This record gives sequence, C-alpha cells and structure tokens, in this order.
Amino acid sequence: MKKHHYNPDSCIACTSCVAYCPVSAATRKFAGPKMMGPALERFRGGETNTDFSLDYCANCKNCDISCPSGVPISTLNMLARAKQYKNKRRSLLDWMMSHSDLMSKLASPIAALSNFGMANPLTKMILKQVGITDKMSLPKYASKTFLQQFRAFKQQSFPDKVVFFSGCFINYYAPEVGMDLVAVMQRNKREVIVPEGLDCCGSPLVGKGYLDEAVEKARTNIAALKHWFEQGIPVLTCCTSCGLMLKMEIQEMMDLELMEQLAAYTYDASEYLLELHAQGKLSTEFAPVAGCYIYHTPCHLRAQGIGKPSLELLSMIPGFQIEDADAGCCGQSGTYGFEVAKHDIAMAVAEPVLKRIREFQPDFIVSDCSGCRLQLSQGTGFPALHPLTLLRRAYEGK
Amino acid sequence: MRQNDVIVIGGGLAGLFAAITAAKRGRQVMLVTKGVGAIAIGGGSIDVLGYDATGKPVRDPSAALGGLAADHPFAILGQQRVETAVQTFLGLCEAEGYPYQGDLQHNQWIPTALGRLKPTCLTPLTMNSAILKAATDVTVVEFEGLKDYSGRVMVDGLRQCPGYAKNYSLVSLKTDINDGRDLTALDVARWLDSDSGQAAFIERLTAAVRPGSVILLPPVLGTKPDYRLFHALEQATGCKLVETVGLPPAVTGYRLRRLLVNCLGKLNVKMIEQANVVRGIVENGRCTGIVTGNLDRERTYRAESFILASGGFFGGGLQAEAGRAREVVFDLPITVPANSADWSKEKLFFAGSQPFAKFGLQVDGKLRPVDASGKLLLENVYVAGKSLAGYDYCVEKSGNGVALATAYQAGAEA
Repeated sequence: MKKHHYNPDSCIACTSCVAYCPVSAATRKFAGPKMMGPALERFRGGETNTDFSLDYCANCKNCDISCPSGVPISTLNMLARAKQYKNKRRSLLDWMMSHSDLMSKLASPIAALSNFGMANPLTKMILKQVGITDKMSLPKYASKTFLQQFRAFKQQSFPDKVVFFSGCFINYYAPEVGMDLVAVMQRNKREVIVPEGLDCCGSPLVGKGYLDEAVEKARTNIAALKHWFEQGIPVLTCCTSCGLMLKMEIQEMMDLELMEQLAAYTYDASEYLLELHAQGKLSTEFAPVAGCYIYHTPCHLRAQGIGKPSLELLSMIPGFQIEDADAGCCGQSGTYGFEVAKHDIAMAVAEPVLKRIREFQPDFIVSDCSGCRLQLSQGTGFPALHPLTLLRRAYEGK
Repeated sequence: MRQNDVIVIGGGLAGLFAAITAAKRGRQVMLVTKGVGAIAIGGGSIDVLGYDATGKPVRDPSAALGGLAADHPFAILGQQRVETAVQTFLGLCEAEGYPYQGDLQHNQWIPTALGRLKPTCLTPLTMNSAILKAATDVTVVEFEGLKDYSGRVMVDGLRQCPGYAKNYSLVSLKTDINDGRDLTALDVARWLDSDSGQAAFIERLTAAVRPGSVILLPPVLGTKPDYRLFHALEQATGCKLVETVGLPPAVTGYRLRRLLVNCLGKLNVKMIEQANVVRGIVENGRCTGIVTGNLDRERTYRAESFILASGGFFGGGLQAEAGRAREVVFDLPITVPANSADWSKEKLFFAGSQPFAKFGLQVDGKLRPVDASGKLLLENVYVAGKSLAGYDYCVEKSGNGVALATAYQAGAEA
C-alpha cells in the first residue's frame, strides 16, 4: 500500500468532493464522499456505526479527481465496504453483479440460447426479484468471444509486441472492439499477445466489497502478465475500468509483489498510440471518416491522469469533427445502473449528458468505456462506438 | 501529436484564467491539475484590495494599489495591468452570459453568512450589495434545515453594521427536500436547478414577501452560471434579490468555475486532471518540460513556456519544513527568516499579517522567478496566484484579485 496515497488526515474538509460527487447530487440517501470516506475513516474500528449509506458510493472516482489534497476517498470507501461485507450475508444480487465473469463463462458458450433466455419476460421477472432492473437491457453475449476470434485470427508477426488485456466485457460482449485493437496494432506493425490464464480485472468485485476475491484475481493476472511486462512489453487495455485497476486500484487497495511493475507498463490503448506518435512511429495514413460524433469521457479515464488521449488521436483523422460532450458522469458505474435500488439514481446522474447527446443528435456516441457506451446508447437511442473502432475505420477507409 | 505552446500547472482561479488568456492569444495550451482548486467551494467574488497595509478599509482599490509595498504582486504589475485584467475578466463573464458587476475604483461591502460585511470588488449580479444598502425593507430568507445559515444571525449581524438599521423581516421557507443527509446551500441550489423546485420556490417566495422589499438569501439560485432563475424570481416577486457569501461548498464559486471550464473547452485547451506535477525539467535556465507522477508511472509533457499556478502552502504549491521553505515543482528557494520563531506571531489571529502568509516566490516584472539577489532563475516560467510572495490574502482581502491579475499577466507573456 502506498502510504502517501492513503492518509485520511490529509483531508482538510474543504468539500470539493461533495461538490463534484455525482451520486450526492442525484440522491439524498448518500451521505457524501467526505463523510463516508475520510471523516468516518477515523472512527472505523470503533463501536460507532460508520457504514450507513456506504452502499451508495459508485466508486466513480469523481471525489478523488476533485480532491486538492490527494486523499483517495473512493478507495477509503471501497476498503470500508470490503470490511463491512465480511460480516454480512450477501444477496444473490451482489454476487451476480460482481461475478459476471463466472456467469459469462457458463452462458457465453451457448450465447444464442443465453441471450434468448435473458431477454424473455419470465427471466426478466425473476431478475427483477433478484434486484436487477428491467428498465435496462443487459448486454448480449457475442456468438464468439474475443478470445475465440483472436485465436482463430492469423496475425502478421512483428518484432514489436504488445500484450492485450481485454477484460470481461470485451471478451464476452464486445469482441469486435478487441479485434479492432488487433487490427490497429497490426497496422502499426505490432503483434498482439493475449497470454493464457488472464482473469477478470477485479473491478466489479471491488465495487461490491469482495476484496479478497479481487486480490486473488490481481494475483492471477500479475502471474499471467509478468513474463511480458518484465521484458518491458506494454500491457494494453481499452476498457478504462480494467486500466484503472491495473494501473492504480491494485496499488491503492492491495499489497502484491510486482504490482508497481505491472502498473508502470500498463497503457490505455489510445495513450499507447499517442506515445507511438510522439516517437514518430504511428501510421497516420487515415482516410476521412464521415458522420457526426460526440465524445463522452469515462470517469475512470479521467481518474488515470492522462487527459483524453482518444480525442487527440481521433483529431489526426483528416477533416474529422467530434464534439466533446463534457457533461459529467453517465451514472452507470459498471453494474450500478443495473440494480433496481440504484437505477433511478444512475439515470438522474446521467440526465445532463443524456440531454446533451439528445440535443446534439449524433450519428454515433464515442466512448472508451463499455458501461458508458451501454448507458448512453440505451438512454438516448443513438449507437455508441469505441474510439478504436473509428480509428480502424479510418485506417481501412470504410 | 499536438504540440503545446504553453503548459499551465494548477487548476484554481489563477490556472484557469491564465490558460484562457494564453489560449485567446492563439497559443496551444495544456492545463495540468490535481483537484479542482479553491474556486469551486469559495464565494466567487473577486476581492482586489479590501484593507490597506495599516488595516484601514479601502474605498478605491485602484488608488490604493499605489500604496502597496514594492514586492506586492499588484505593485510589481502596476495599476494599469491590474485594470486591464479586471476589464478582461468582466468582458469574459459578460460574453459567457453571466456578467459580473463592480469596477476597480470601488469596493463593495457584501454580507457574509454571519451578517458581517466584507469588502470585495467584483461580484455576480446576484451579490450586488448596493441594492441591500439602499433598501428600507429587507426580507431575510432562510431555509428549514439548511445548515451554516441562520436568518436570525444574519439579521442580528447586519443590525450592528453602521447604515444597516433597516426594517428586517425573517422568512423561513420549506424546500421539498426532506430526507437523507444534512442540507447544504448546494443541495438547495440543485433543487432550484429543477423545474419543479423552481416552480415551488417561486410560489412560496412570492407568497411570503411584499413587492418592493429586498430579499436577502443564501447562495442557492442554481448551480449554473446564468441568471435565469434570478430574473424569474425578481419578476415574480416584484423584489430585488441579493445572495450572501456562503460557507463551503459555496455555490457562487462553483458557478464561476463552471463558466471558466466551459471557456477552456471552447478554446480547445487540453485539461489533464488527477495529475501530480512532481518536477520540472530545466536546461540552461529554461524549462523544457514537466513530469507528472501518478501511481503507475511518470510522464513528461513539453512546451515552450510554463505557467506555475500551483498555489501556496495550502494548495500544495509551496512546502515548509524545519528552517526551510521551497516551491515544489522546480524546487525553487523561498526566502524565509533564518530563525523559525520569526516565521509566525504567537497569536494566530491578530490585527496584522502573519509573516508566513507572505512567503512565496519572488519574481521579476514579467512574473518570472528570481533569487534573493534578483537574478532570473527560469526565463520561460511565469508565476501566478498564491505561489507568489508579498501578499496576505486573508488580511488584505486580495486573493482572487491577485490570482486574476497575475494570471492575466502570465497568460499574456507565456
């Protein structure tokens, strides 16, 4: 644990986090980041009830981003939640929301059947009983996972390698985004490696208080990746929550061997491509891409402290115009918006950005995070793309 | 990749305004910040100079600038440049649809949450205290359950201020917020962002006041930098409205930050949040880049010139340790008394300035850092805001004014 990044006493109670917490703005039930994080942290371990309303924190990181004193407020909340849940009977909902990787392993091989099963009214009723909202469609399993598609794809070999950590969502629900990454890397004379033995990044587990299981996942992933990052080969993510976990949250919440090295070699895919460009190695043979686009910045990208690399990258496509929505959090926070008890809060958080997109009337929404794309697309009716998909289109002139 | 002409370190009022100023000159600007700065939770009014060096209230800040010590940031800039900065700020707010009122030749006295008056120079239209001063009948509005604001305290406080013996009436209004945590002004302002909240409030307020009265209320008139609700309320009630200064999170500063960040977006300024600048790269007296250090790794960003707006001891731009103080990014020396006992006076709150309050970077006429002998240390780094030596914003009431004026100068040079 990096001590300098963990001291609740650095909090000067300035209320910046309160002002910028999207959940606090949407619901009065959440006591707010300052109270639930640094203020109550000082009482934890004592008799006082310090955990009321903790469940409402979405771990979106806006508190950390706004804090002028470097207090990892959301991390204090997640650690407290893990402690709280150790002694609490867990609901089926909590288990399902945090173990979608396990469920996907079972459901994905029979994707067509699973999708049919999930979408029919009876299942929806049962899911609602469990606590999953019927106001949002759950994502559909792809007929072939990313891993299956990747294994079947014949790559050109290059001396420069990159490792790709796809994460669960891209593997099971959006394999085309993973294949877009492969195509973009191939275009830049990079060979993509997907090591055996990778697991879920652990972000949903952390969010639901299953910290011990998240630690095991992190251990597994470090073991699977270390052969590569120890040689200095970069590990790419194009899911911003996976990226945040590998870069920062593991270090904030766990104490594992080699975690600093993994973090040092983990790149958001667009960040990596920008770095190639700075070295003069990025192919900029882009064809124009038609259409009207609006970009939404995921909170978990903002939390990485690297700005908006995808926007910069896309600006290299000749004549390409994209509007930066800059209208705050989408509210989804991974699985938060799927819960019956949280769905209305998520939608209230999302309202400003949904309104902005509806008014802009784009052909496509563009965002790096799968949860954001799902939420914004369902909330507005406009389709949503990953920036790498657009980049691939620009390379291939489609 | 886009080349940066200017990198601004810091996202408080100084950093944001410096970035806007540089970008308006056509410079490609990147702003790096850790946190949102003090502006978001502050009152949003622009103090320039409330009290002079002898502690006397200032009527005309413009004229009083001439009486400041030579190392005061305003003295370094000179009256003309401060005036230009103020005019530019006023023009910007006007252009963004949220004009401020006031001018450099007059201070205004605005009511605090305790009903005392504090001097300031520029405020949003909603905080125009001339309206309060001219009033005969004042209706003080409070909200049931709102913490950090009491109508009774406000009235009692104002009554003690010379010239404020008026007919006060106190009105306590309900919000529709009746569950959950403590109620802050920001919560009420968010309620008033909603159509239903506005409709309910307009109805309740109209029923509670007599036309022609002046309505004094905490800063709750919406979170956005516009005056739609303000004007709607004035029309519905037939009264003029004045918002007081509030305790953090004070909504009026939140609005100003939103306005400035909107501006950055329009000017295509690249903003990197959640990034600690850990050091500068200096070659032959010039800065060629800065390094951010996050939990994962360090990253280098290059530019032609740099604006240092990283704040003072409170904001993290300066650091003090036993016997020594330093600026954090470039490790620049801060001149301090050799004996640590001379850094402070024993009583924290006394009639004068604490010596440590004026610690900071010494600069040349272009706001570039110099050493104790006046030798230029970095030829392309410009300092704005609380990293600067020579002023005590707490005692002088000059914080946002110094931030704006030095940011304007830095943004114009960088």
